[in-house]
Amino acid sequence: MTKSLRQQFADTLTTIGKEDSGLVVMVGDISHGILKPLAEACPGRYYNIGILEPTMVSMGAGLAAAGLCPVIHTIAPFLIERSFEQIKLDFCYHKLSGNIVTVGSAYDYSNLGCTHHCYGDFALLKTLPGVQICFPASAVEFDQLFRQAYRNDLLTVYRMAGHPHPIEFDEADIVFGKAIKVQDGSDVTLIATGPQLRTALTARDKLSAKGISAEVLYVHTIRPLDIEFIRASVEKTRKVVVVEEHMRSGGLGDDVLRATYDIPGMKFHSVSIPDIFVTGYGTYEQLSESCGLTPEAILNAVDGWCCVN
Amino acid sequence: MKNIDTTNNGTLNKDLRRKIIDMVVTGKDGHIPSAFSILDIITLLYRDILKFDATNPEWNDRDYFILSKGHGCLALYVNLHRHGFITDNDIEMFCKQGGILGEHPDRTKVPGAEASTGSLGHGLSFAVGISLGLKVQSRGNRMFVLLGDGECHEGTVWEAANVARNRRLGNICAIVDWNESAMQLLPEDDMPRKWAAFGWNVQVVDGHNEKEISDALRKIEFKIDGIPSVIVAKTIKGKGVPLLEGHGIWHHRIPNQIEYRQIMEELL
Repeated sequence: MTKSLRQQFADTLTTIGKEDSGLVVMVGDISHGILKPLAEACPGRYYNIGILEPTMVSMGAGLAAAGLCPVIHTIAPFLIERSFEQIKLDFCYHKLSGNIVTVGSAYDYSNLGCTHHCYGDFALLKTLPGVQICFPASAVEFDQLFRQAYRNDLLTVYRMAGHPHPIEFDEADIVFGKAIKVQDGSDVTLIATGPQLRTALTARDKLSAKGISAEVLYVHTIRPLDIEFIRASVEKTRKVVVVEEHMRSGGLGDDVLRATYDIPGMKFHSVSIPDIFVTGYGTYEQLSESCGLTPEAILNAVDGWCCVN
Repeated sequence: MKNIDTTNNGTLNKDLRRKIIDMVVTGKDGHIPSAFSILDIITLLYRDILKFDATNPEWNDRDYFILSKGHGCLALYVNLHRHGFITDNDIEMFCKQGGILGEHPDRTKVPGAEASTGSLGHGLSFAVGISLGLKVQSRGNRMFVLLGDGECHEGTVWEAANVARNRRLGNICAIVDWNESAMQLLPEDDMPRKWAAFGWNVQVVDGHNEKEISDALRKIEFKIDGIPSVIVAKTIKGKGVPLLEGHGIWHHRIPNQIEYRQIMEELL
């Protein structure tokens, strides 16, 4: 059985916590069951601190100011949106390093509604100089990205996906800040981040059946973005579709467009959450479909460009 | 106890008050009454209580001091200057392009400033994080943080107070500048009782009486594992110059030439 990201989060932190005496973990009344091994292995360095996210973020910055390496963990909207000013001032302006690991990516908590959704986080975080943003959507990605970035000099936000994509990358494939070419192609570039890699791969198969060769790139690090790698692909295909579980405004699509707009003849399309609240209930898959995150949405864009009947 | 100046209607630290007025007039900006409200507390802290090395502000064994009510920063600046953290030129460049001193303390620019404050409600939470970090590392440094009473409207203050008590952070001392600004908006404001309700050890002092402040600070044991302490300091906003005292127009006003002379005469 494939390990969940959340279990991998607990396992990775427990392993690193045993090796790195500076690691201090604070959670906001979540994941305490799976973090018991960490608590036992690292006495005095694990805290289920309470339901007070802004203070947890400020405290994390304080731990960093005292020379420690904080990891802060709870549900995304409470950490990123409610605590945004604490991230901005106490971590980023102070140039203090640390790690924020969220669960509840986009609309993963589908039936919990707007209070527990968070699909504008990339946009918000990108306004803060110095923040690194990852979107691991498989266990090995979380493990590798965390190990590679957790002790560098910046604040790193890990948006953990609740619904992993189907690709099993090797550890060596995962390099912080580097995109991955999942499929070679020549007619169009499909760029996916997070679980929507599955959508991109399904679209690729359908395009292939129509005689269109799609190159599929996977982006696990939103910032710093692997711009040169993306440009190289789009310079070849001149057409790019970005698919992501983020609002259209401020998502990966905006960054890709900014990175490639000057390529002659370039065509761009974003398959993303429209700039509205997601108000429906149902499963994660149903909400994806209702937001228009489907292979058909990709096909429609590409069909228009490639004039396929 | 050194250099206590209780002459002339009991106003302490007149030299520093005059320097603050000159900075505000030269820099054409600043919050004079907020600085005068806390000046006597901060001056005593730096003179008699805090362990620091101005030549090495990040000395590992220092005590930490965070001015959470950042708009009172002039009181911090004149003490950082007095003790050698910052220079005459830094003071002269207050609120001028190219200077390091603005209307809120900036950790990234000012030697000795442990936090960039100004947005109220951050300093105590940040300080509690440092206190926890000290406890994790079994370090004996002490943590001092000064808050405004208006700042205590912010919910994060009480989030942090709750955590500090429950994590037994006995290495932290909060000082509340209780000048009753907050009561203009929310009159029911029994500050000592609030902190006591959060389980902190509470002392109430006259924030312009050095002996009372000093005695209260020296009573605190600063145990790494213990109960956090708060000193609720009854203060007067604008203390020392009747023209400036109270909650009127002077909160963020620059004296004109006539007012400047009046104020300076009060501070002779």
